Amino acid sequence: MAEPRRIVDMTGAQIADAIARKELSAREAAEAALAEIEALEPRVHAFNQVTPELALQAAERIDAMVASGESLPPLAGVPVAIKDNMNLIGTRTTCSSRILENYESVYTCTAVERLLAAGAVPVGKCNMDEFAFGSSTENSAFGPTRNPWDLERVPGGSSGGSAAAVAARMAAVSLGSDTGGSIRQPGALTGTVAVKPTYGRVSRYGLVAFASSLDQIGPFARTVEDAAAVLQAIAGKDPMDATSVDEPVPDYRAGLEAGVEGLRVGLVTDMLEMEGCAGEVRAAVENAARVLADLGAEVGEVELPMSRHGLSAYYVIGPAEASSNLARFDGIRYGHRVKDAEDVLDLYMRSRAEGFGPETIRRVMLGTYALSAGYYEAYYGQAQKTRTLIIREFADAFERFDVLLTPTSPTVAFGIGEKASDPLAMYLSDVYTIPLNLAGLPGISVPVALCSESGLPIGAQIAARHFDEATMFRAAAALERALGLDMTPPLVAERQR
Amino acid sequence: MAKDRLNEVLERYEAVIGLEIHTELTSLNSKMFCGCPVEFGGEPNTRVCPVCLGMPGALPVPNQAAVEATVLAGLALECEIARFSQFHRKNYFYPDMPKNYQISQYDLPFCAHGHLDVEVGEGDAAYVTRIGITRIHLEEDTGKMIHVGGSEGRIAGADHSLVDFNRAGTPLIELVTEPDIRTPEEARRFAQTLRTIFLALGISDCSMEEGSMRVDANVSIRPRGAVELGTKAEVKNMNSFKALHDALAYEIVRQADLVDAGGRVVQETRHWDAAAKRTSALRSKEEAHDYRYFPEPDMVPFEFTEEWIAAIRERLPELPAARRDRYVQTFGLPKHDARLIAEDVPLAQFFEQAVDAAGAKLAKPVANWVLGELSAHLNATGAAVGSCGITPEMLAELVVLVDEGTISGKQAKEVFAEMAESGDMPAAIVERRGMRQVSDTGAIEAVVVKVLAEHPAEVESYRSGKSGLIGWFVGQVMREMRGQANPAVVNEVLKQHLDQ
Repeated sequence: MAEPRRIVDMTGAQIADAIARKELSAREAAEAALAEIEALEPRVHAFNQVTPELALQAAERIDAMVASGESLPPLAGVPVAIKDNMNLIGTRTTCSSRILENYESVYTCTAVERLLAAGAVPVGKCNMDEFAFGSSTENSAFGPTRNPWDLERVPGGSSGGSAAAVAARMAAVSLGSDTGGSIRQPGALTGTVAVKPTYGRVSRYGLVAFASSLDQIGPFARTVEDAAAVLQAIAGKDPMDATSVDEPVPDYRAGLEAGVEGLRVGLVTDMLEMEGCAGEVRAAVENAARVLADLGAEVGEVELPMSRHGLSAYYVIGPAEASSNLARFDGIRYGHRVKDAEDVLDLYMRSRAEGFGPETIRRVMLGTYALSAGYYEAYYGQAQKTRTLIIREFADAFERFDVLLTPTSPTVAFGIGEKASDPLAMYLSDVYTIPLNLAGLPGISVPVALCSESGLPIGAQIAARHFDEATMFRAAAALERALGLDMTPPLVAERQR
Repeated sequence: MAKDRLNEVLERYEAVIGLEIHTELTSLNSKMFCGCPVEFGGEPNTRVCPVCLGMPGALPVPNQAAVEATVLAGLALECEIARFSQFHRKNYFYPDMPKNYQISQYDLPFCAHGHLDVEVGEGDAAYVTRIGITRIHLEEDTGKMIHVGGSEGRIAGADHSLVDFNRAGTPLIELVTEPDIRTPEEARRFAQTLRTIFLALGISDCSMEEGSMRVDANVSIRPRGAVELGTKAEVKNMNSFKALHDALAYEIVRQADLVDAGGRVVQETRHWDAAAKRTSALRSKEEAHDYRYFPEPDMVPFEFTEEWIAAIRERLPELPAARRDRYVQTFGLPKHDARLIAEDVPLAQFFEQAVDAAGAKLAKPVANWVLGELSAHLNATGAAVGSCGITPEMLAELVVLVDEGTISGKQAKEVFAEMAESGDMPAAIVERRGMRQVSDTGAIEAVVVKVLAEHPAEVESYRSGKSGLIGWFVGQVMREMRGQANPAVVNEVLKQHLDQ
């Protein structure tokens, strides 16, 4: 990696290191990030809210620790951006929805709390598809986020704001949430490292739920090392989330240099051959497999035919859970409420009709239908059976392989508005990422190429066994080192000049 | 309503009744899915948190003690305990429900297929009937709506409504019976017996007035001998055992009258009005609710092992029926007295401690004191048995004093009153007040001679056949001796002198 030209070009690890060595103050790091946001935000729109006061307060605490010689937490002074579906006291948590436009958090999300306890400095709350429904961040009530690689293109979604903030270097790292690919797909489209941990690895307490059985919080970063450090900080059992798992959290960074000698890598061939997978995406992933083989990995081929049904199962289970999770937004206790309701039914119907955007309404209706008497077995029941089969298929594959390699997204970043009127085409963006959510498996997207034609990033997804993020990180770090890609978007290059 | 009218109807029709009983687990420290305390009343919206208010991002964590209490109830009622069970979401919109879904159980309740043997009636007419228990499941309670501006707090005509979420998330167990109940009295006895069991288990205060125990009933009638069930009505708002009985009696007669007049019973929910003593239709037609149940994804399913269930079973206390039988067999108490004590856990504990102190051979007088003076004292003062100032040791000492002849029964009542007042031990009171009963025949004889000499006319009457006057003579002697004479000895000495 080239020597960083500016503070904002430094990785999280470099910033924490420089602060520890007193070459940089946390305040300088925070101010640099805030200045970068001020410069780029009008063009990128990655944020719903910038939080300079919270950032400077947190930075001052770190600087005071440095001054008093206290030992510093691992992410001391690292600027972090947080997806706007995670609660943080002192901020609004809008989920990019009109219905929560003025909703002030009354408590702080466990993952965010852990990240801040690890010394991270919160610079703002990131734009997203409303309630995380989407793959482009166009479904935000507050306007789309733009891809720093090409401002006419989407950054992916739903965590598009978190991805763009890191790609454009407005924050060193960020948190997103991933229900069907909402971290990994924007990671691929913005050339960032993006992690969906094992289901249960990170507490969901304080994350506004989309689909409770699929949602996980995870990091965006510009290096595998930073992503590992963020997951290290937020992972582990939380008594406030009954689905979080009490499984030891290993030192993720310790194994990053260990290489892939003897690692059994399964290249998922039927996913590469799937219609809709761009030729360059396929070529880039195949190249990544060759690189891993050259590094000593044992690369083999595997097919996951059940996974192709994941998309259908996901579009039943996800909306079904969402229809129930979003029922609490009713205008009674908080959020948007019509002023002149005639009765309670009128209050519900009009508050929700006014507060929710079209994709949210579509998902709530889909889910309500799928759970209705007489349809439950045909839809929800069938989807759960499919989910069980996908889980078994992965279990079989992981008998033979330690990690699986697939594309993250079938295409590079597409144009703003290009798929907005075709929900099914949009849904296909997540065809490779969804099966991991259904199976609860961890996955990471790492940049593996820049498209020769468009210059846009291409990501590969590495999946691992449940709670084996360490192996996933090790493979991703080996690939990152071997490929040595320069992932500087034109917008950033322009700023560096 | 005349009881005869119900009996007449029940000669021609058979009533088929099933109960649905919701009981709040009021003895738990915290709500079902969060750490907020469980209490009745209080300033509105003071016992709430992000979880029980359904704030965005908050998650439920099941209260393990509530799960255990439910399984304990299931074991007490001979239920099968599920090896695999889970919560479901019941989806519907209502302002008292913060999430607009209730976390409840659906096809996998913790307990199913139990039964309760209920004793109905007294004396020769007494019988035992076995009522099947379909299921017992655990769920969360809703908040409370307060309708402002209408009449009597009802929603109709209200100007606006407020919501108090203090109750939201209170652990609630729902018990559903089989339609095995045949009379209003059986329904009442089932509910009463269930209450004594839940009280013995210590899982709820079971207050029908405060709503911690809520009984709804499904009732239908069919001609005697018919197999096919009639159309049922659901009756709600019965806030006491009497209301349960009366509402069912009303409803059975109402349905019979309807059918007799050539009409048909419609399936509907009916509201019991205790003041007007009648039920009225609440919703004209059962709304076709689709609750869209699905497994609660915020929690992992429960897998109960044999060992875990056995450990809960170990915690089962002696239940009221077994305790009553023990009192009859071991202490020779009359069945009715035994039941009254056995069904009241604190009273039973008091009784047993007093018997321990006084000796088992004095169990009967102890029981009489517990059901007599002690219960009257508790009723009069409103105090709980544990905090009324009278200890089992005090009562035991009092009973022993009477048994040994140290004081008379009459004196004992005075001592009881004084020990209730002062908290002193009865022996000390007897000593202080010089109440020692005189059993010395010589001293008593002197007084007897004196009394007979002063009342020659009464002596004459007695001797000419009015033997009932003996009691009057006893009274005179006792008065002379300021109540301290042993009445048995007085009686004996009087008879010796009068009958010579």
